[in-house]
Amino acid sequence: MAEPQRPAPRLAGAVSTAGRALLPIAVTAAVLVVLPHLWFADSPYTTGLAVEALVFGCYAIGFNLIFGSTNQLFLCVGALAGVGGYATAILSDRASLPLAAGVAIGTVTAAIVAGLLAWIAVARSLNVIFTGIVTLVFSLAFTNLIIGQRDLTGADTGYVLKRAATDLADDRLGGYYLFVVVLVGLLIVFRMLQLSHIGWAFRALRDDEVAAELAGVDVARYRIYAAVVGGAMIGLTGGVYAYSLGFISPATYGFAQVDVEVLIIVAFGGLGTLLGPVVGAAAFGFLDRALTDSGQLREAYYGAFVIAIFLFLRQGVIPTLTSLTRRLGRVWRKETEWRPSP
Amino acid sequence: MRAVILDGIVLGLGFGLLGVGLTLVYGLGGVLNLAYGEIAVFGAIVVSELMARDTPTVVAAVVGMLAAAALSVLLDLTLMRPVYRQSGEERTLLGLLLTLGVAFVIVGLLNWKYPTGALYIFIGGDPISIGGVAMSAGSVWASVIAIGVAVVLLLFFGLTTFGRGVRSVIQDETGARLVGISPSLVRTLIFALSGGLAGLVAVTRSMTAPLTVTAGFDLTTFALIVAVVGGLGSVAGAFLAGVLLGIVDNVSAHYIGEYITAIVLLGAAAITILVRPRGLLGR
Repeated sequence: MAEPQRPAPRLAGAVSTAGRALLPIAVTAAVLVVLPHLWFADSPYTTGLAVEALVFGCYAIGFNLIFGSTNQLFLCVGALAGVGGYATAILSDRASLPLAAGVAIGTVTAAIVAGLLAWIAVARSLNVIFTGIVTLVFSLAFTNLIIGQRDLTGADTGYVLKRAATDLADDRLGGYYLFVVVLVGLLIVFRMLQLSHIGWAFRALRDDEVAAELAGVDVARYRIYAAVVGGAMIGLTGGVYAYSLGFISPATYGFAQVDVEVLIIVAFGGLGTLLGPVVGAAAFGFLDRALTDSGQLREAYYGAFVIAIFLFLRQGVIPTLTSLTRRLGRVWRKETEWRPSP
Repeated sequence: MRAVILDGIVLGLGFGLLGVGLTLVYGLGGVLNLAYGEIAVFGAIVVSELMARDTPTVVAAVVGMLAAAALSVLLDLTLMRPVYRQSGEERTLLGLLLTLGVAFVIVGLLNWKYPTGALYIFIGGDPISIGGVAMSAGSVWASVIAIGVAVVLLLFFGLTTFGRGVRSVIQDETGARLVGISPSLVRTLIFALSGGLAGLVAVTRSMTAPLTVTAGFDLTTFALIVAVVGGLGSVAGAFLAGVLLGIVDNVSAHYIGEYITAIVLLGAAAITILVRPRGLLGR
């Protein structure tokens, strides 16, 4: 009765599976590595913008894991990044720990905070909007805390990291490659989660939470997992960013400066997709570059662009492209099937 | 102590007025209008421009409110249409993102045209004594207006046919349609009301301190917090939440310290939401 067993995948099979899983990431990495030499390596200004786009791409990957995969609207990306950033700054300067230790502690702290927030949201069974409001309140409280602890954080005037890598700050390209490494690393983690049983649970609970719960998926636990991993990604990025900038202030991690843009980036790229955050961050990087000379009207153009995107591209770029290629593929296959035999 | 609480109530009535316009629109169609604060700022700029041209303050204020209401209706008739074709969380998210875009457009245009624009309405007169506490004329007027609006809105939703119609749409859109109430008409009117209230917020706020072009973002977030704490869709809840948060804010500013206050206030809001996710008076 047993069905004939398929032959065990040989090396070629394993390579092709791994290839399919990692190919998009490899392509992204290749493009990011080559890009500066083709385009902007000689312009520090554009390189700076590219670094910023990469940082937002990293934030967006973490946010995408939390919101895109498990439907928790965490409006505290900036605050979580700030936890990482200020922990790195204060621990390495004041407590004279090595930078790596500062970044590591910041990352872990951000992960714990995010996990706690998810735990609260799950325990109180908050829906999307309420999770958003509670995390927004956390963001605002965090900013106030930073401003209040003037002696420790420098408040609005900001904080200069004495031990920041000056070579990174001077040579923007170094910072660029640093964040390429971080981004690719985060993408690999995201992809591995996607392909594991955790990714399977994520998809189930995103499609239909109740059905997932009934099918035995522990929704609460996976939500907390997603928040912890996503929070760690955001905290890590925030810490490394502090180190590469050499100067941080509440605005570096402000709600208006970080969360709004990250939400738009992820929604534009496509919620829950691997490359959505990268595509979104790249698009907004280009937009930033294009709007450089528009001065005061910059924000207005930016808003108009946001409106246009969400009116006409509601699903996000990646899902739209995927369904488009699929439809084209189907049309093409049908045509070949129906072609009369000669 | 009495003065501290009274000041808190005055502040809180302002918060309540801020939250009510946002809560109505959300209650009606599940849209969180993130351009709300910018609409208020737009109204403020209209008022200040008119006042600069020697228009009487009252006329300028009324025109400003009408302008804010008109902008709000424009938003409803154009960008909100595709939003209302969605349902559930899709609707909320799309509404959120589109109004966010609108907020950027408004603040960008205002910053470009009136970079230093601000509204400050000076209310002259001696301090007025209330229960033995001297209050500035500006804050007394602002509070009187807020209380007036609360009373009018509550009477309107409680007693008039149209008000009941609005409540029916809040409770059950399909049911309302079945008994002959057009949800889209009701929504447009509520958007107008919400815009007018945003304009009024700008006017009353500027009676105690100048309202600048950049105030929109803070107005929106605070309106959001007040609306959620009060219970989304509840008029009385918004005012109750506003007054409670106002008292918390002032008491903590007076007894604990200035900078902790913001955190105490946010903490109070977070705890209320967590203990009662429906909000104080939410359904």
